Amino acid sequence: MFKPSPTGKLLLHVANLMVIAFILLPLVAVFFGSIQSEKALQADTRRLLPLEVTADNFMVILSKGEQKGRIFEQTTYLPDNIKSFYAAVVNSTIVATSVTLLTLLFGSLSAYTIARQRYRWTLFLLQANIVARFVPVIVLMIPLYIVMRSLGQLNSLTGVIIAETGFLLPYAILILAPYFDTIPTELEEAARIDGCTRLRAFISIVLPLATPALAACGVIVFIASWHELLIPLILNARPDFMTLPVIIATLVGDVFVFFNLMMAICLLALLPTVILVALLQKYIVEGLAAGAVKG
Amino acid sequence: MLPARTGRRPHGRWGFRREVSAGRFAFLMNLPTIAFLCVVLVYPIAYAGYLSMHKVGVAQLRRGEFPFNGWENYSRVLEDPLFWIGIKNTLTFSAITVGSEIVLAIAIALLINQAGVWTSRVTRLLILLPYAIPPICNGLIWSFLYSFQFGFLNRILFTLGLIDTPINWAGNPDTALYALTVPYIWRTLPFAIILVHAALQGIPRELYEQAAIDGANAWHRFRRITWPMLQQIIAIILILRTAFAFAVFEEILAITQGGPGDATWVAAWYSYKITFSPPNNFGMGSASAFILALMIGAIALVYLKLIYRRVTL
Repeated sequence: MFKPSPTGKLLLHVANLMVIAFILLPLVAVFFGSIQSEKALQADTRRLLPLEVTADNFMVILSKGEQKGRIFEQTTYLPDNIKSFYAAVVNSTIVATSVTLLTLLFGSLSAYTIARQRYRWTLFLLQANIVARFVPVIVLMIPLYIVMRSLGQLNSLTGVIIAETGFLLPYAILILAPYFDTIPTELEEAARIDGCTRLRAFISIVLPLATPALAACGVIVFIASWHELLIPLILNARPDFMTLPVIIATLVGDVFVFFNLMMAICLLALLPTVILVALLQKYIVEGLAAGAVKG
Repeated sequence: MLPARTGRRPHGRWGFRREVSAGRFAFLMNLPTIAFLCVVLVYPIAYAGYLSMHKVGVAQLRRGEFPFNGWENYSRVLEDPLFWIGIKNTLTFSAITVGSEIVLAIAIALLINQAGVWTSRVTRLLILLPYAIPPICNGLIWSFLYSFQFGFLNRILFTLGLIDTPINWAGNPDTALYALTVPYIWRTLPFAIILVHAALQGIPRELYEQAAIDGANAWHRFRRITWPMLQQIIAIILILRTAFAFAVFEEILAITQGGPGDATWVAAWYSYKITFSPPNNFGMGSASAFILALMIGAIALVYLKLIYRRVTL
C-alpha cells in the first residue's frame, strides 16, 4: 500500500537479515556443536567452522552408549542417563499424547458449555481458568510432590499425566471457548428439534465444526507438554520414568561437561516440536492469538 | 433459547432415554474439568498455604507429621538476604525482558507486515521457530553460546575481528543477569510478535489510506493510527509476559544455576533450591513459593479486571 523508497527497502532488508540471524543463531550453534568432538572444540577456541565433522555424538546416544565411535573410544565415563534416551523418547511421547487427548476431551466439554450456557457459575469457572493460567508450576511443585508421594504416584507416568493435564486444561479452555462461541447455534437447534440429545448434538454437530480450533489447541498443548520440565523433574527421580527434558536437565549438573553430547541430545529433542511447528504453523498462530485475546 | 420440547422422546445411541436439563448438562460436562482443577490447582495451592505454616523437612516427611510453626517459615524467608536478592533479580529480569519484548515485538511485527519485501516473507516463515525449542534445550544451547572457553558467540566475534580476548558472558557477576535475558527473550518473543501481528491485521486499511490522502508521514501514521489500535494487545502482552517472566526457571537451571555467586538467583530458583537441595526445607520452600504466587496472583487479577472485562466472550 505504501511503496518504500529504494533506501527504505534496503533498510528493511537489513533489518530482516538481522532478525533472521538472531533467530537462527542458537540453531546454528547447536548444529555446529553436535557435529564435532570435544577435542576439536578445544583445539582452536577461536575457530567458527568445525575442524572435523563427525556423527559419533549421535551414534553414542542412539546406541545407548554402546557404540562409542572414534571420539568416545578412550572415554571411560559417559553420563548414565544417555543410556535412557529411548526410554525418555517413549515416556515423552506417552505423556504428551495422553495429556493432549485428555486436555482436548475435557477442555472441549468445558469450553462448549462455558461458551453456550451463561450461568453465574460458568462465568466464574471461566474466570477461574483465566487466573489458573497464571499459576506457575513452581508454586505447585511442593504440594504436588507431597500429594503424589502420599498417593504412591512418584516415579510413574500417570502422576505426570494427571498433573500436566490439570495444569494445561485452563489454557486449552481459553483457546477453545472463543471458537465455540463463533459457531452458530441454529445447527444444534435444528438437530435438537430432530430429536438429538444435547450431548449428541455437541458430538456430531459442534465438534466436527470445531476441528480447526481442536487442531490449534491440540498442537499447542502437545508442545507445552513435550517442553514441560518441572513437573516430571520433581515427580520422577528414576531414569526409567524420565521424560526428555528431564534427561537433558540431569546432564547440566554432571561434573564432566560434555558440550558436544549435550548439543546432540538437544538437537534430537527439539526436532519433533520443530517439525510440528513447521507443519502446523497456521493453527498455532490462531490458537495463540485466541488464547490470549478473547479468553 | 431452545424451543420447547416436542412430545417425542429422543432415544440416542448414547443411552439418554430422558433428556437432561440444560443446567445439569452443563454441570456434567464441566465435572472432569472441575475435578482436575481441584486436584491439580486448588488443593495444591491450599496445601502449599498449609505447608508454609508448618515445619516440613525430610524427617517430618518420613514420619508424615508436620508440626505447626505459625509464621516462622515466612519470617525466616523474609529475613533471608538471598530471598531479597532473588526478588530484586526477578524484578530486574522481568522489567528488561518484558520491556525489550514489547519494543521488539512491535518493530518485528511491522517488519513482517511488509508484504512487498521478500526478506520479510522469509522472516515471517521463521518467526515461530523459537517457540518450538524446549526451554531446557534453549538454556543449554545458550550455555554453549556463552561458554568462556568454547563459546560459539566468542568464536563469531573472533572471526569477525571484533574482540581480542574471550568474553565471559554468563560467568561475570556484573553481566550474568543481563546475559540471561537474551535467551529468554529469544524463546518467548514469537508469542508477542504473533499477537501484535494479529492486531495489525485488524486495523482497517481505509484509516491508512485516508491518512495518506491527508499527507501524514510514516511516523504520524504510526503515532495516530497504529499505536492507539495496538494499545490493548500491548497491555495483554505486558501482563501475560510479566507474570511468566516472574517464574523464569529453565534458563537459570541450564546456564548459571543461580551463579556466579548469587548474581542470577531468582524467586523461582530460590524456592526450588531451598526445597529440593539439602537440607530440604519444604516449609520455607512453600512459604517463598506462596509469596511468589501472591505477586503473580495480583497481576492475574489486574488482567481479569482491566482486560478481560472489555473483551467478553
